Amino acid sequence: MPESRRPRVAALALAVGLVLADSSIVVLALPEIYRELNTSVAGVTWVLVSFNLVIALAAVPAALVARRAGPARAAAVGLAIFAGAGLACGLADNLSTLIVARCVQAIGGAAAVTAALELLPATVGSERRAATVWAAAGATGAALGPAVGGLLTELVSWQSIFFLQVPLALAAAVPILTVARHEAATRVIEAEVRSTGRPHLWANLALAMVSAAIAAALFLLVLLLIEGWRLSPIEAAVVVSVMPLAAIFGSRLVDLVGDSRSRAAAGAILVSGGLAGLAFLPKATIALTVPPQILVGVGLALVLSALTETALGGRAPQAIHGGWTISSRHAGVVIGLLLLTPIFTADIEQQRHDAINAGTAVILDSPVNPLLKIDLAEKVGRRLDEERGKVPTIGPAFEPKPSDPNQRSEVEQLQSELQDQLDRGATHAFSTSFLLAALLGLIALFPIALSRRVDL
Amino acid sequence: MSGGEGRIGGRVLIVGSIVVALVLVGAYLAAGGSSYEPEKVQDPCQPRPWSNPQSLGQIANQFTISALDGAACQLGVTRETLALALTTKERRERFEKRYGIDDEKLAKAIRAGLVRAVDDAEEAGALSPLIATPLRQALQRIPLERAIEIINDAQGFLGHAEGFLGPAQGVLEQLLPGGLEGLGLP
Repeated sequence: MPESRRPRVAALALAVGLVLADSSIVVLALPEIYRELNTSVAGVTWVLVSFNLVIALAAVPAALVARRAGPARAAAVGLAIFAGAGLACGLADNLSTLIVARCVQAIGGAAAVTAALELLPATVGSERRAATVWAAAGATGAALGPAVGGLLTELVSWQSIFFLQVPLALAAAVPILTVARHEAATRVIEAEVRSTGRPHLWANLALAMVSAAIAAALFLLVLLLIEGWRLSPIEAAVVVSVMPLAAIFGSRLVDLVGDSRSRAAAGAILVSGGLAGLAFLPKATIALTVPPQILVGVGLALVLSALTETALGGRAPQAIHGGWTISSRHAGVVIGLLLLTPIFTADIEQQRHDAINAGTAVILDSPVNPLLKIDLAEKVGRRLDEERGKVPTIGPAFEPKPSDPNQRSEVEQLQSELQDQLDRGATHAFSTSFLLAALLGLIALFPIALSRRVDL
Repeated sequence: MSGGEGRIGGRVLIVGSIVVALVLVGAYLAAGGSSYEPEKVQDPCQPRPWSNPQSLGQIANQFTISALDGAACQLGVTRETLALALTTKERRERFEKRYGIDDEKLAKAIRAGLVRAVDDAEEAGALSPLIATPLRQALQRIPLERAIEIINDAQGFLGHAEGFLGPAQGVLEQLLPGGLEGLGLP
């Protein structure tokens, strides 16, 4: 690749990575947004759902517009819209404004991502290489998104996620503007690529199902870690980094297996197995989330690459078919979130109630001095009120500890038992949702199996 | 889907994935993954035997639990829900609103719970029948706020009751603004 084209490739890769990271970058910020904008779990989910829904709907039309108006111009305008809407997201002081800005961001993002796929072949020299760069940039963005979002949320604020996107999107747009000027001057619009093949129905359907499962895995795990186990966003970012790291390892397996259908099937099975593992966590311990995350990470590397390869293979124009894969993946994310949010929201409420009941039973049945017990019950009750319907941190209710060593030991034992009941409730609240997400991954096996017989 | 050459066979990869997934899920289930949930609380209407209490503190503990069980059973809620509701006035108001219970109904239930606690204490040999009988009569007529105080400080209440064989009036005077005269006790 000529030296002069490198900034342009980097800019296109940055644009794709930035937009696809936006699909998941707010995951770790959701609990903070939830608290700051004083909304509900179901409401805050729409910060994620709205972006994915709009990008799913806009990807193919955006690809068509990019081909007609010129991909460079579409990418530059798309990035400008993405940056402007990002600024609006950061300045939003209520949930409605934030959701509307996220929708606008998704429209700009859809234009940038699909146009990038149209621009890349001419920039990198081949269609195959372009698809590789495009997929790798998207995967890197999506993988890094939650960790970067978590770090920014804790170190600065959730708003900083969106403010940082503004200069990055504009930086990506600058080299593309040069191409856009050339494009306008030479009127090289609508490439002479002959349209070959309809969208690959089964590969795209499988992509949607698998994406639903993966999105649910990430979203549910983050909520479990932050809201259930009370980890900070940075700690949660470190924990969920296991998944992208495993995906990087999994991507090395891609070259070892030639048959893309087997890779897709194996990947879907691993994703489902990992999700089922998360559904049956035997203890509220971070270490136990690692093996299931490894399975999900390796699985997603196998299945996403195989299905994207199948959906794009031998089809043109790439932007349109790339648009279909983007559309399918984000539609899957939306399906996963919309399907599971009401289920785990209800489960969290039920389990919180059960855990508090079980914890109160522990206090009532404990051998602690009755007066101390009543005092503790009052303090725990106050903590419940202060935490406004969330799983409470009960540590402060047990301070100061009694000075008498025997009483102190009894109180510490009581605190540990009460915390255990709350951990049980918080963990169990996600079980059904993780199991359903695993089922979505298994459902993807049907279109994967059908794809050999009926290659639409 | 496209086929191609690779160093690992497709079938081997699929079988390997199935085995790995099953091993993980099997290991988590064997470690108790299917039962890792909050413990179920006991039905307050079921008897909860006293466990040979020795000290006044232990008796007070069990007295409170019996009283809460009795009241919760009558109200159709769990003992734990009621216990938390009685910790503050705000929580009590929320509880009454949520379950459609007014002060009168709550007072009636708590009185019934306290009577059940006296019964249980008597049955366990922790309270003399000489004290239990007048206590039952007194408890059936005490005001709501005082009934809640007794649940919250059973030790103090029973401490007074212990000395009942001496000046029995002590405890009853505490319970009722009108004292013994209002009860018609022997």
